[in-house]
Amino acid sequence: MTEPPQTADPTPAPDPPAPGAAPAADGPAPQTPAAVRRRAVLAGAAVSALLILAIVFGSRLLRDFDSALLPYAVATVFLAFGVAYRYTVWVSAPGARRLFRQGWRSFFSAANFRRAPTALPKMIATYLGLQKFLGARSHARWAAHQLLFWGCVLAALITFPLTWGWFTFTSGSGDGPGYEMRIWGFKVLGFNALNIIGWLMFHGLDIAAVLVISGASYFLWRRMKDRGAITGQRFAYDLIPLIALVVVSVTGLLLTFSSIFLHGGGYEFLAVLHMVSVVFTLIYIPFGKFFHIVQRPAAVGMQLFKYTSRDKDADGELKTCRRCHEPIDTAAYVENLRGTMKDLKLDFDEWAEYCPRCKRVLRGNAYLTHVKKGFQ
Amino acid sequence: MTATDPSRALPLDPSVAPPGTRSFRDAGGIPADRWHADQNGETLVPTHCCFCGVQCGMYLRVDHGGKVFGVEPRNHDINRMRLCPKGINAYQQVNHPDRLTAPLLRRSRHEEFREVSWDEALDHTVAEIRRIQAEHGADAFGLLGGASLYSEKTYLVGKFARVALKTRHVDYNGRLCMVSAAGANKLAFGIDRAGNPFSDILLTDCLLIAGSNVGECFPVMTQYLWGARDRGASLIVVDPRQTAVARTADVHVALKPGTDSAFFNAVLHVIVAEGLTDEAYLAAHTTGWDEVRATVAAYPPSRSAAVCGVPEEQIVQVARMFAGAGRAMAWHARGVEHHSQGVENCLTIINLCVATGNIGKPGAGYGTITGQGNGQGGREHGQKSDLLPGGRSITNPEHRRQICEIWGIEESELPPAGTSMMEMVWQMQRREIRGLIGICNNPFVSLPNYATVKEGYDTLEFHAQFDFFLSETAANAHVVFPVTVWAEDEGVMANAEARVVKHNKAQEPPAGVRTDTWVIRELAKRLGAGDKFEFPDSRSVFEELRIASAGTVNDYYGITYERLEETGGIAWPCPTTDHPGTPRLFEDGRTYHPDGKVHLQVVEWHPPMDPYSEEYPLSLTTGRTVAHFLSGNQTRRLGALVEQTPRPWVEVHPSHGFRNGDPVRVVTRRGSEVFPALVTEAIRPDTVFIPYHWPVPTAANALTIDALDPRSKIPEYKVCAARIEAAERVDEVPAPPTAPGQPAYPETQVSRTDPLPPTSPQGRGTAERS
Amino acid sequence: MMGRTIFIDPGRCIGCQACVSACRECDSHRGKSMIHLDYPDEGHTVASLPTVCMHCEDPVAPCAEVCPADAILVTADGVVQQADTTRCIGCANCVNACPFGVPKIDLQAKLQMKCNLCYDRTAYGLAPMCATVCPTGALFYGTLDELRAERPGVQVADSFTFGDVVVHTGVAMVVPADKVRWPVPGGLPVVEINGVDVR
Repeated sequence: MTEPPQTADPTPAPDPPAPGAAPAADGPAPQTPAAVRRRAVLAGAAVSALLILAIVFGSRLLRDFDSALLPYAVATVFLAFGVAYRYTVWVSAPGARRLFRQGWRSFFSAANFRRAPTALPKMIATYLGLQKFLGARSHARWAAHQLLFWGCVLAALITFPLTWGWFTFTSGSGDGPGYEMRIWGFKVLGFNALNIIGWLMFHGLDIAAVLVISGASYFLWRRMKDRGAITGQRFAYDLIPLIALVVVSVTGLLLTFSSIFLHGGGYEFLAVLHMVSVVFTLIYIPFGKFFHIVQRPAAVGMQLFKYTSRDKDADGELKTCRRCHEPIDTAAYVENLRGTMKDLKLDFDEWAEYCPRCKRVLRGNAYLTHVKKGFQ
Repeated sequence: MTATDPSRALPLDPSVAPPGTRSFRDAGGIPADRWHADQNGETLVPTHCCFCGVQCGMYLRVDHGGKVFGVEPRNHDINRMRLCPKGINAYQQVNHPDRLTAPLLRRSRHEEFREVSWDEALDHTVAEIRRIQAEHGADAFGLLGGASLYSEKTYLVGKFARVALKTRHVDYNGRLCMVSAAGANKLAFGIDRAGNPFSDILLTDCLLIAGSNVGECFPVMTQYLWGARDRGASLIVVDPRQTAVARTADVHVALKPGTDSAFFNAVLHVIVAEGLTDEAYLAAHTTGWDEVRATVAAYPPSRSAAVCGVPEEQIVQVARMFAGAGRAMAWHARGVEHHSQGVENCLTIINLCVATGNIGKPGAGYGTITGQGNGQGGREHGQKSDLLPGGRSITNPEHRRQICEIWGIEESELPPAGTSMMEMVWQMQRREIRGLIGICNNPFVSLPNYATVKEGYDTLEFHAQFDFFLSETAANAHVVFPVTVWAEDEGVMANAEARVVKHNKAQEPPAGVRTDTWVIRELAKRLGAGDKFEFPDSRSVFEELRIASAGTVNDYYGITYERLEETGGIAWPCPTTDHPGTPRLFEDGRTYHPDGKVHLQVVEWHPPMDPYSEEYPLSLTTGRTVAHFLSGNQTRRLGALVEQTPRPWVEVHPSHGFRNGDPVRVVTRRGSEVFPALVTEAIRPDTVFIPYHWPVPTAANALTIDALDPRSKIPEYKVCAARIEAAERVDEVPAPPTAPGQPAYPETQVSRTDPLPPTSPQGRGTAERS
Repeated sequence: MMGRTIFIDPGRCIGCQACVSACRECDSHRGKSMIHLDYPDEGHTVASLPTVCMHCEDPVAPCAEVCPADAILVTADGVVQQADTTRCIGCANCVNACPFGVPKIDLQAKLQMKCNLCYDRTAYGLAPMCATVCPTGALFYGTLDELRAERPGVQVADSFTFGDVVVHTGVAMVVPADKVRWPVPGGLPVVEINGVDVR
């Protein structure tokens, strides 16, 4: 694997508008980095507090809380803080902020909802669920990512509520085979541990682990082999997440293996190892590659914005290039982009009304006219 | 979709993007998803490009499965890592789905081809040869070779014709390419090759490019032109069109097609009149100068300016620039050679160089740029109708005796000189030639006056063709032999500098494919001449070729495969294995004539063979575009090149009133076809241009005239009389032919039906293709 | 500040599109060409203009600045990378904000792609594919000294004007000696008659 010679901060921090700069016509008040950080800390603290409250009340005032899972629960609180913090910082940057607002504006528009009630659910299903766009990049990567994705979703759905003491499994007889599953203390399901449903209930995490291992292994293998993927590959950003997922899944599977085949041999050690890897992974989420899990829904917001702004019933229209009259994008989008460029003091925002080809042709003509026509 | 009313149905993904940003269709036609960069380790095989006469070095990337999958630039001193779009995409031919992998056979042209075994195809071919030759004589069977073959194979073509077929009728497609230059070189210098290497261009003070669209036909050679200019050289380009190199030239002489010799005679006239000739050189090293001087006296600039349609001052300017430079150099190509006075056009340029003493010095000399990869080597070793190996003449008794001794045949068995390629087609029409084998050529696209060519080939009782893709010509044959591409065999080629370079084998041929050498050997065996063709591989042929050329002007004796691998190329003549080769000729002032002098030749201009009239007032000229090669059988199947230039067009000046993309019918005395107009000021108002790489109904050569130069027998491709008129719709480019049951690789053909002309003669801008 | 970079000279360009084909052979985006080749003087001359990413330095990478997903990384060597596949949401902000018209977008894959100076090659000291094969040196990769060794006295400029804004770039263009002190015009401001750009 290759590391590029040197890497800078992965997020190119754009200079935020200077304090006191006049707010752009449509933009919100300018923010200093300190202000953004303050707000982000507040948001993180608030979300963490909410999660703690949810844990306390969801576990019926900690009656259902499993103290053995405490480190996991603490990690999730840190995770909540980190995600909220990073999210706030992220949506404070001009490009993200504007699309964020436009996305939610489209989402909350009653008119949009009346016109196209199924658009959003469909987008979420095809985009976030089936991830069809990945298939356009490569079928193999799509398949591997689906394994990874559904494995993680399954694992999260099982483990987070368990950790928080929201789920309980109780048996009238003490140790089965008849079990009851309760959420927040309410019984939702009774099942027999020996039948298929019971087996699935108890081995859900093992299934998740198998899905994740197969998906992550494909990606690891690809990162060793595919020259496109290797280019600019960074260990901490690209490989650590995959390794972490594999370690979490393998140690999780080994726990099952230990309890079934080794009568609990090595269980203690494996449990600690598993816990460490999980805690690490959770805390890593806001800071590296996994942050895309949090960011991805923005794509749906962006799509919904473009969708509704193109809807002719809502007077949506395509903006065409001022020179060649080929469509560029929706008028609202181009307006939004120009606002973003103004926020960033990229004062050639008028240029956004030209298609890239015309920009190049005009620059080429300017060169031929004003710099040189020929060889010298 | 949420819309209940389909009229306003909006796709769920409403994204749009501006032109040129949104599509990766230009991914060589292959969906981007199917290109892999998986690296299990790879081998780089050093070789050269299969296409033009520059012969750029390149590495082919071979994976661990032994398959060619890519190209890597190679720092060979011809091209210094540079490659043109054809060269970069050349490797895609190797494992292309359109490859022929089994012999095809049919008894008559009314049947479909069927795949047969090699034995059946070979036996049938030999039976037909025997039948035709028994009924109509040995000369009733002809053989046509090609100049993209390795020199070893061109040697075999000539030997096979004379020794196995025993026919006089053998020729090759270099006849359509640069025989005019060859003829002029022989007449003036007694040797047929460029006088100077490319690297001399870097040393010159004034460079004259005549009739060569270097930027498109020899793109990698442009670096030498620009290198010369970086060091202060002036550039003169003579071309009816504003080509990429003409655009920035110091002088661009946009003369009327077919007036080259009038122009160069006038330039020489001015040089003489202004006393700029090198009288000392002329006196010491030339014959015929007085006659030439007397002739050009009749070509004052005023006369030629009217003939050529250029300003008088430009003629004077060119004369002063060329003759006034310390070291001047002239290079020419098909633009001056493809004429009914092609040889004479070249001679006027030679006269210019010789009269100013610009011969045989660093940075001073002349050269001709060969079009085909082995355009130089392909004409040296006996596949030309009048030549024997080593550039020997078939009419010279001494030469005949030498070759018969090497070949081990009686001199009486060696046939006399044959006829040229176009003449052979006429003989087919007259049933003088009744059977033909074509190797590595595609006359249905490349010969002029398609109607005649088609009729000639249709009249043949038997026609076999060697190729790796089913060319338009092969699709009309009775038997097609699937043979190797260049990367599946080794061999040598000689580039435009007469530098012999070695191509290496990068992969095994696919199952069912054989080398041309193997097929020729099997045919010879069945014809009873197997003992003369016991060549297991190219190396053994080359050994015989070395011996066969020893002691001649085209001496290859000192060149061995090992030396070529060590040196990266040796220019002939190279008489001994410790001889360094001869990159620059005439350094001692001696030519290869017995008297050692340059034999200057008198040239009188005459108008082109196709007369202008009120009905046909315009000049039609033809040529190449950068993305395609010759008849296009190779390049019209490579997605990236099809994307760059999907179809031919007619280039017209705005004064004709057409708008870009309008369907325009081009009519000549041979036929008419409709092309989209590329309206541009970069062409003379009295001239229209069509690139010739496509088959009918979009073939420039359905319109061109089959008039020949009396000496070189080159057809007059570069000028015929035409008119243009508005039409309804453009003629569509047909898909390239393929073996039965196999469609032309669809991913590469996506844009073939584009009805519009390219943005510029070099192709469509990248943003135009989304 | 100008290290090893690409120098562009449209005056030498013959429009052959070798760069376009070569770009496809680069392993970091195999099969996809990122380079643009335009014929800006269409109908008049055969002039051509190759466009690679100019790797803007000041303002640093407008494409990265307008990106709502922080997907475009600028490495310490000044190379503006193509979008991170995990982050890019395919909004096309970069496509339309780039003053040079460089980024491309795959709408189906929701992914921006652009010239990354053939990072798989330049990271190892090799020249990018386009500049390696360019038959004319219209695209040259190396240092200014290396360029001058081949073309004595050549002058380059690495700033462009777009209206009132000057953009400094990592990739430079060849200019005549008498033009070297001014930024290269980028095509703005617009020239309009009745709301239609007449250029």
